[in-house]
Amino acid sequence: MATKAKSRWADDEADAALEAQRKKEKAEKKRLKAEKARKLEAEKQARDAAPREAESADGRPPAKRRRISPEREPAQPATGSDAPSSGPKLLRFESGAFGRCRSVENYDKLNDIEEGAYGWVSRAKEIATGKVVALKRLKIDPKDRGGLPITGLREIQILKDCEHRNVVMLQEVVVGDDTSRIENIFLVLEFLEHDLKSILEDMPEPFLASEVKTLLGQLASGVAYLHDNWILHRDLKTSNLLLNNRGQLKIADFGMARYVGEPPPPNLTQLVVTLWYRAPELILGARRYGPAVDMWSVGCIFGELLTREPLLQGRNEVDELTKIFELCGVPTDETWPSFRRLPNARGLRLPSSAAGNNKAATGSAIRARFPLLTSAGAALLGGLLALDPERRPTAREMLAHEYFRQDPKPKQEAMFPTFPSKAGQERRRRRETPNAPARGQQAADFGAVDFTGIFSGREREERGGGFSLRMV
Amino acid sequence: MSHMTNPLATPDQLFQRRSFGALPLELQDAIFFATQCLTQAAGLLLQLPQSVAAQANVLLARYWLVESIMAHEFSDVSAAILYLTAKCSPHPRSPRDLSNIYAYLLSPSSSFFPREPPPSPEPNPNKNNPSTYYVPEPAYQTFHARLLALEARVLHALSFDTHVALPHPLAVTYLQALDFLHVAPRERIGKKVVQYLNAALLSPQMLYLTSQPAALAVAAIYNAARDVGAKMPECEWWEVFDVEREELGFLVVGMRSVEGWGRRIAWRGVGMGLGVRLKA
Repeated sequence: MATKAKSRWADDEADAALEAQRKKEKAEKKRLKAEKARKLEAEKQARDAAPREAESADGRPPAKRRRISPEREPAQPATGSDAPSSGPKLLRFESGAFGRCRSVENYDKLNDIEEGAYGWVSRAKEIATGKVVALKRLKIDPKDRGGLPITGLREIQILKDCEHRNVVMLQEVVVGDDTSRIENIFLVLEFLEHDLKSILEDMPEPFLASEVKTLLGQLASGVAYLHDNWILHRDLKTSNLLLNNRGQLKIADFGMARYVGEPPPPNLTQLVVTLWYRAPELILGARRYGPAVDMWSVGCIFGELLTREPLLQGRNEVDELTKIFELCGVPTDETWPSFRRLPNARGLRLPSSAAGNNKAATGSAIRARFPLLTSAGAALLGGLLALDPERRPTAREMLAHEYFRQDPKPKQEAMFPTFPSKAGQERRRRRETPNAPARGQQAADFGAVDFTGIFSGREREERGGGFSLRMV
Repeated sequence: MSHMTNPLATPDQLFQRRSFGALPLELQDAIFFATQCLTQAAGLLLQLPQSVAAQANVLLARYWLVESIMAHEFSDVSAAILYLTAKCSPHPRSPRDLSNIYAYLLSPSSSFFPREPPPSPEPNPNKNNPSTYYVPEPAYQTFHARLLALEARVLHALSFDTHVALPHPLAVTYLQALDFLHVAPRERIGKKVVQYLNAALLSPQMLYLTSQPAALAVAAIYNAARDVGAKMPECEWWEVFDVEREELGFLVVGMRSVEGWGRRIAWRGVGMGLGVRLKA
């Protein structure tokens, strides 16, 4: 009875004692704080005492204090007596509705654009509005016993959830007219004139430093948005980056993307990302990886923007790894402590740094390979292409990097040069870039591989770039 | 924000449900309830986390507001949606597993549907008889084909939007914010909240299609706190979580009514014709 009458929040002596102790601690803290504040106040008064005349003339600190109080006074009745009349301000959750999807007959096909690994893309016009869109048809294998491909479903769901100026917008999903069997599924995406890959291939001159910054900044802000929302893209490459004629870059093709948690789930597939953009930990068979794999791809794209050539064009996994080590140095216990624990790392024979090789041979060659890059730019590129995923900057850190604040400043998007559209008229060229790995494919298993010879020709490269003059 | 919001049913969709098929509304409700229970049972036997089964429940409710409840076999719809939800989650299940589980659940051996006592005094020979739920290969093949066809239909009906935000994680966060988790009956109150949220999945009032997760979470906490007898703040604390008094009241009553209504239906509704149809 007695306990029932008491508060149900604290129902025994132990709780009461705990509560009392907590109170005491709180009081103690409060007292200390008050004392500190008093001391500070005293100090301030002592400091202020000297330049009193100046302060009264200037009048800034009192003005500040005065500004606060009138705000607080009307605020108090607002929460009290005014509340019932106007009602409290509640957050309304905006949400859509659900319903059947529309037919593809609402669109008029104009021309094919390209055939990717996951489907065909064509340019189309919405009949009702005249708006030009890109229609991407999902590839569905009728022999697949699992039904609709999970990659396609993930892509749709992720794009539906995304809303960012640097991520391609999914307008809706439409299906073919025959709804008894759903075989033709089309993603209606916003149409952008170019992809970065074909622009780079056709440019007579590389991008200016300011233009590289604009593109890279947009890429980083899109990737930061994805990572903030727990999405890994897992197939970032220049052919998946679209560019419109207003200088806006958008990330597209989410066929490999998925949601991950923190810490990442343990059994992710290592067969992601097109080989040339694949991070070393993926090649070495890591099953647990995170946003850093996307940051590696961003680094590869950075290098490609500078030279117009894909940075690391390996013919196969081993060759790719060789090229990575040639550029970034061989992993050591210092540069990548956990590297030996990766499944494919056991059989590797590396040139040992202890065997008298000079530091330059095992260090990164990025600085030498990009002689025209500012040191901030080289630092960023080196960070993105760090072998140890832990050391790569996050997309947010990248956005705050000094490189973007140094001269030349990023070019305004509106000032960006335009390029003749290919998607508009003709079929885009089939390009030689390898595709992202297919689902269910066998991961490359390379037993013992010898990398000891990879630095034999390095002395010749170490000369540096010499001088070169360039207008910015 | 997508982690906190769901697409909601429009008034038209809710009204239109009356005109679907010739079934009286009460029977539709009973079918809805039984199929949702079936989905939950299958989720349990497939060892899926409750989050997956709950998402399947919500998708099923949405689907039946777009397409008539009579368009397909109820158990097939349940299986296809559970398959789809599991596929999109980190816990995919194979069509074969689903086929076995649903065959068992719908067999006379199943403990899922309460059945009338056998007319003869001797024990039912079908009880716990594995041959009653064995799935031969041809039967599996047809089930598989139906499953994939329905999966595509469901996706078509829902515009390929399989996103469901559940109120369960929110409820835990709110409990922490309210310091409810530090009071003595902490297991009891947490458990009660989850029970209310899970029961609401079965409600033919389709609470998950008419309210956002935040409101559901607050209503469940309100109910649980009342049941346990915990002291609640005296002010209008639900406004902190952006829930209006009116909506809260509606949800509190809706959640409380599920249990009694469900028990009545389970004993009456299933007996009439429902079990027959669900048996396929």
